Amino acid sequence: MKLEAENLTKAYHQHEVVNIDKVAFGAKGLEGLIGPNGAGKSTLMGLLTRRIAPTSGRIRLDVGSGSRELNPLKSHEVARIGLIKTNQRIQGFDSLTIRDSLRLAVTSPRSEGFMSIFAGERDPEDVEERVSRLIEAFPFTDRNGYARSGGEKKLVDILRCLIAEPRLLLMDEPTAGLPDDITRTVMDIVRQKVADGKMRVVVVEHDLPLIWEYCDYVHFLSEGSILFEGAPEEVKSNRVVAEKYMGV
Amino acid sequence: MLLIDAIFIGLLEASPLILAAMGFTLIFYLNGFMNIAYAESITFGAYFAVLFNVVLGAHFYLSIVPSMLLSGCLSVAVYLAIFRPALNRGVGPTEMIILSVGVSFMLRYGLILVVGPENLFLNEPNITYMQFMGLGASNLQLVALVLVFVGAGVLYWMIYNTGLGEQMRGLANNHDLAMASGINPHRTSVAIWFIAGCAGGLSGVFSGVFAQVTPYMGWNVILITMLVTIVAGIGSVRGAVIAAVVAGVLTAFITLVTKPLYSEVALLMAFIGVLTFRGARTA
Amino acid sequence: MDYLIFSFSLMLVYIGLAQLLHVQFGLLGIPNFGVVGFWGLGLYGTGVLYVSYDVPLVPAIIVASLIVAVVSYVLASMVLQRSGQAILAATLAFAAMVATLVVTEKQLTNGVQGLGTIGFPFGDLASRNVVYFGVLLAVVVALIWVSAKLRDSRMGRMMIAIRDNEELAASLGKDTAGTKRTVFVVTCALMGLLGGLTAPLHQFLVPYHLAPSLTFAVWIALVLGGKSHNLGAMIGVFATFGLFDILIETYAPVPAEQAIMLPNFKLFCYGVLLVMIIMFRPAGMLGEDRPRHRARADAAPANDTAVKEG
Repeated sequence: MKLEAENLTKAYHQHEVVNIDKVAFGAKGLEGLIGPNGAGKSTLMGLLTRRIAPTSGRIRLDVGSGSRELNPLKSHEVARIGLIKTNQRIQGFDSLTIRDSLRLAVTSPRSEGFMSIFAGERDPEDVEERVSRLIEAFPFTDRNGYARSGGEKKLVDILRCLIAEPRLLLMDEPTAGLPDDITRTVMDIVRQKVADGKMRVVVVEHDLPLIWEYCDYVHFLSEGSILFEGAPEEVKSNRVVAEKYMGV
Repeated sequence: MLLIDAIFIGLLEASPLILAAMGFTLIFYLNGFMNIAYAESITFGAYFAVLFNVVLGAHFYLSIVPSMLLSGCLSVAVYLAIFRPALNRGVGPTEMIILSVGVSFMLRYGLILVVGPENLFLNEPNITYMQFMGLGASNLQLVALVLVFVGAGVLYWMIYNTGLGEQMRGLANNHDLAMASGINPHRTSVAIWFIAGCAGGLSGVFSGVFAQVTPYMGWNVILITMLVTIVAGIGSVRGAVIAAVVAGVLTAFITLVTKPLYSEVALLMAFIGVLTFRGARTA
Repeated sequence: MDYLIFSFSLMLVYIGLAQLLHVQFGLLGIPNFGVVGFWGLGLYGTGVLYVSYDVPLVPAIIVASLIVAVVSYVLASMVLQRSGQAILAATLAFAAMVATLVVTEKQLTNGVQGLGTIGFPFGDLASRNVVYFGVLLAVVVALIWVSAKLRDSRMGRMMIAIRDNEELAASLGKDTAGTKRTVFVVTCALMGLLGGLTAPLHQFLVPYHLAPSLTFAVWIALVLGGKSHNLGAMIGVFATFGLFDILIETYAPVPAEQAIMLPNFKLFCYGVLLVMIIMFRPAGMLGEDRPRHRARADAAPANDTAVKEG
């Protein structure tokens, strides 16, 4: 599973926000993407999930059995090949309970056709079990009800993506709006899933200690380009990164 | 020649539509929902004209302005009594449209219960037919055309060149920012609903004098008004004027080359076609 | 008596239409304001096939419903991915087109003169209108049953997710555009089917039947009853059509000279009711209704260290 971009650019009114020669995500397990404000992280995320149309360049998803060009695909097709993204801004289904939201995410589109109307049981046991196990790891106000606060909604958004187990998960600022202990529980689950070989993950974050602690590999983005890549230790001690980001 | 005929007839026919489309667009622009009850601003405008012109016996030209103003007042009253509380309560756009259907029913059938379902006629001023570059039109039609264009021009100027227009555009674009910068949303909204109601009333007076006054006259043009507004893009007054003129000319042109009834079908088809490319996308 | 059976049969048609609209708007969020167009195309399609081409009633109804399916597929491909207001205007325009074409295509529909006669099936059975009522009842009960099952199914859950946040649903791999199109086409074809089934009730079809008031009557019923409540559609039709068209028109002692104003009074009341409901009880008379299935969840004690906003 590899998400590759070549000669990827995005410009708004002649102002180039992203300009990347070549980058590959998802080759190393749990990866981090860091960079100063305005480096183009969000734009890059949008480009990778096809929400933003690139000015030029190609994005391909390598799924073992061959690679697929991402640009001509619709957004649900991207998700079905195995690429899903958590949202930076709070997104949710207001009329679904936390459980239903997770059940929805874990259910494959194939079993949501017309015939499902007449199915005896709505969700099979294993779905219920996976949903319960995930929900019980977190202190929701009402585990059988609706997400109440913005924090709970944000958490549900992340859990939806985790339970769906895409081949590659992009996490857009998972710590924003969540308390520390919750973030750690989330990241522990993520690390476990990556270790089990269930998925690859790219985390976009400002919280550097979290990146150093959890990531196997880090991409450093600045002024729209990937300036440095490597293991956390290498990135931490890199002079360019220190200059551009940590202000040393 | 066919084209010139079509443009001329189209402009004559479209003149009430242009006003209606502008008023409808104003409300759409300001509050973000399609106010189907706007149909009743048009209908009531015509009935107010009947009140002044037929019941009280005033000259037709004299009854135009008071009818228009009364229609504006009605519009404000409906806004204050129903739409503003609903908007404040956070009723969604689709529900607002359904609400406006309810208001429309209430007003229209309330009117029928009071004045009866019969069609009424306005006492037209003396009509003389005039020839102008080989095109025939009555003096009344020409007066209407001129008045409508003056009205539309004033409206246009108000929206793009005055403080009120600026406040309105501010409110429509960013409600909170506009409030923070000291715009009184209440006063601006009332003013806009008044102006929109006046435009609808004027449109109704002229539709009424060209044909007849019926309780359904506003309802009959509201669909085309809605389509004009949407096709013109969300609440661009400039776009609404252009789309209304084009719709009028197009209708006249199709009427001239085919059977009259097909012009409506063709126009509706054209609108759906345009919506396919111009309506805002969901996902 | 025959008139009462006719009224109740027509009421069943209204309930069916409102139920289908509940699926389209209540579950999936598609504001279809052209109900009368799809229903009317089925009605007139059946009538034209039956009267002008001597097709027997049942095949005529089926073919007419298929025509509606094709037309709604085209319409869906054009506008379904646009904003709600665009869909609303386009469906309204579609219904107006159907109504106009019925008047202009005289050689097919006999225009304003009217098209007839379409008899009941079941040949010379004396109580054939009662039997036909039974058929309608079966169809409508089936519609309500299926839509109740639908709402509590995996597919229904996905539809509600699309209604709530289409972009998010798509990002989770749900084919939102495809689902909307399929459900729209199927439900519109069923509206056409109900139209076909209405043909023998009216026997004689006139363009007046295609007035937009049918669309609004169905919408008012749905909003009154509660758009996302499965029984809302039925309750709404009882409270509007049942109350005004059956109870008052049949039993209220209204003097003849005032009776002609009754339909106007009815529509005035519809308007007032609609305004009151949206202003004071937006979820409809039955209130909010959530899908069942929650009971399955374990009764874990609420945890007091809830996730707070950070």
